[in-house]
Amino acid sequence: MSVVSAAVSALAVEDLSVELPRDGTTIRPVNGVSFTVERGRSLAIVGESGSGKSVTLRAILGLLPKGGRITSGHVAVEGRTLKESRRNLGRGRDAHLSIVFQDPLAALNPVLTVGAQIAEAPRFVLGLTRRAARDRALELLRLVGIPDPVRRYDAYPHELSGGLRQRVMIAVALSSEPKVLLCDEPTTSLDVTIQAQVLALLSDLRRDEGLALVFVTHDLGVAAEVAEDLAVMYAGRLVETGPVSEVLSSPKHPYTFGLLESAIDVDTPDRIPLAIPGSLPDLSQLPKGCAFHPRCFLATPECTTTDVELRSVGEGRASACLHADQLTIGTRRS
Amino acid sequence: MTSGNVLNVEHVSVSFPAEHGRRLWAVDDVSLGLERGTVLGIVGESGSGKTTVARSITGQEVPSSGEIFLDGVPLDAHRSRSTNRAIQMVFQDPYASLNPRLTVRQVLRELLRIHHLVSRDDEEERCRELMRDVGLPPAALDGKPGQFSGGQRQRIAIARALAVEPQVLIADEPVSALDVSVQATILQLFHDLRERLSLSVIFISHNLAVVRHLSDRVAVMYLGKIVEEGEREQIFSDPRHPYTRSLLASVPRLHAASVAPPRLRGEPPSPVDRPSGCAFHPRCPRAEEICARESPALLEAGDGGHLAACHFRNEPPTDLEDS
Repeated sequence: MSVVSAAVSALAVEDLSVELPRDGTTIRPVNGVSFTVERGRSLAIVGESGSGKSVTLRAILGLLPKGGRITSGHVAVEGRTLKESRRNLGRGRDAHLSIVFQDPLAALNPVLTVGAQIAEAPRFVLGLTRRAARDRALELLRLVGIPDPVRRYDAYPHELSGGLRQRVMIAVALSSEPKVLLCDEPTTSLDVTIQAQVLALLSDLRRDEGLALVFVTHDLGVAAEVAEDLAVMYAGRLVETGPVSEVLSSPKHPYTFGLLESAIDVDTPDRIPLAIPGSLPDLSQLPKGCAFHPRCFLATPECTTTDVELRSVGEGRASACLHADQLTIGTRRS
Repeated sequence: MTSGNVLNVEHVSVSFPAEHGRRLWAVDDVSLGLERGTVLGIVGESGSGKTTVARSITGQEVPSSGEIFLDGVPLDAHRSRSTNRAIQMVFQDPYASLNPRLTVRQVLRELLRIHHLVSRDDEEERCRELMRDVGLPPAALDGKPGQFSGGQRQRIAIARALAVEPQVLIADEPVSALDVSVQATILQLFHDLRERLSLSVIFISHNLAVVRHLSDRVAVMYLGKIVEEGEREQIFSDPRHPYTRSLLASVPRLHAASVAPPRLRGEPPSPVDRPSGCAFHPRCPRAEEICARESPALLEAGDGGHLAACHFRNEPPTDLEDS
């Protein structure tokens, strides 16, 4: 993952910053975020609630809440820069980007059949005839593994189970033939056996259709299964990036390290998870210097004054920590 | 019924009316025992009936049949105040279960008074002690729920449950709504409480990792029935039911990129349309002809106290389960 070579990447996000009004002040939930995703690859952005990971996805799509604005940065899909005004939903939307939300019931239209919702983009964005759009929708229902697609075509969202609804949501997202699929916690509300099915489906789509995936999640295990690259977000910034297996086996940022230590792992029941002390900072009163320093076991006086950017810490790895070299494999605090 | 148990659930079924005059069996002939001072984990996916079991224990649902015993005494539909006090519950969303207009002190004092637990002079000291028990500073007594983070709120909800000195604490997904870095602290709190107060806990969760960390004994539910039950390591190291094995394989793992999980086909059927025989057979990679015909009973499998409801509970898993 790198900031350059935007011309060939499926998705290139550069120096993206977002401001939102809150309680009379302005907060910056996304602050100078850059990443690229190549065709057929997947990036997971992990972070806790309030880290800015979901706002990042919404900013890419131009779906910011009222009063929110992008203050810097640009987004390019397949080398073509998206203008903010074109990134709205509706018939003129950019067909190359789609999103899958956590709660399909909130995202799907309750009074339209699922077939009509999947056929909409083929008909009005891709310009197919009514009949061809219907055929395409049936094909998509089959592609996402919905049994008996002809019958399901006429079902309403509430008539389907949570797992099937999420498959429909994915079919709707794929219906405009996007190059990039953004996923915002798409399996968080699903049961674990259904989650495994949906993750497998997304991996198949990436491999077989060459889709680029950006996958936002709070679950490191899900990130490890679905992604090749990992970006860890804290208080609006990316604090660590790199290949997922390397980041998870030898983290180079104390926050990533802390997330791993606090993870409750099913295979190591006797290992006591250690929580990260303190709590996420209020975005309207971010600590000076590195935003993580009040919770960090490596913090030095320098960390309270120096604004640290992501910088290279080895092949394909980057960390926004002054003391990245002090983190070694297997060390636990206390 | 074992005498060392603080709580026994005996052949409890709970049903609800469904469409076309049919009935939905949310819980179907479930028996469970909770040994004093231990944690019993109940795992299952949505619709498995795990929360309905909890609600029948707390008296929020009246079983269609079966009985529940607290300390050997059967509980009837109309429970006394002291019975209600003895069984306390902690929910997934602490915010929904705390009055936003009262301070923590007001909440706790009200409970102490209603149940005549301490004299007025000792109320303040008991409130402070409860804060210590759940790892909060005494100053937290002056706050209202809205002023606390999710993890702190869950601690307050636990303090409220502990205030009435329950014999059994039922925790329904108590860490599911919390951020990952906070889940660990609440889990540790349950550990501590069990050690220090020798609390008896029923811990309900869909999260197998959390259940493995906390439980002494584990019951796995599918479509209203217990399909496997045993000591923690019997369940996690030597699972005998194909459903338990599928659940374990489906958990996303940090360092297992190369291992593809066995993908369970399809989704759980509706409890109104329970499949014939073993309810799991339409999704089961191991299923044979007998499974559609005969419902397997929950019987001894392997070592003592390990039970599984599968015709093939004493045979090793087949290759079919790996595809």
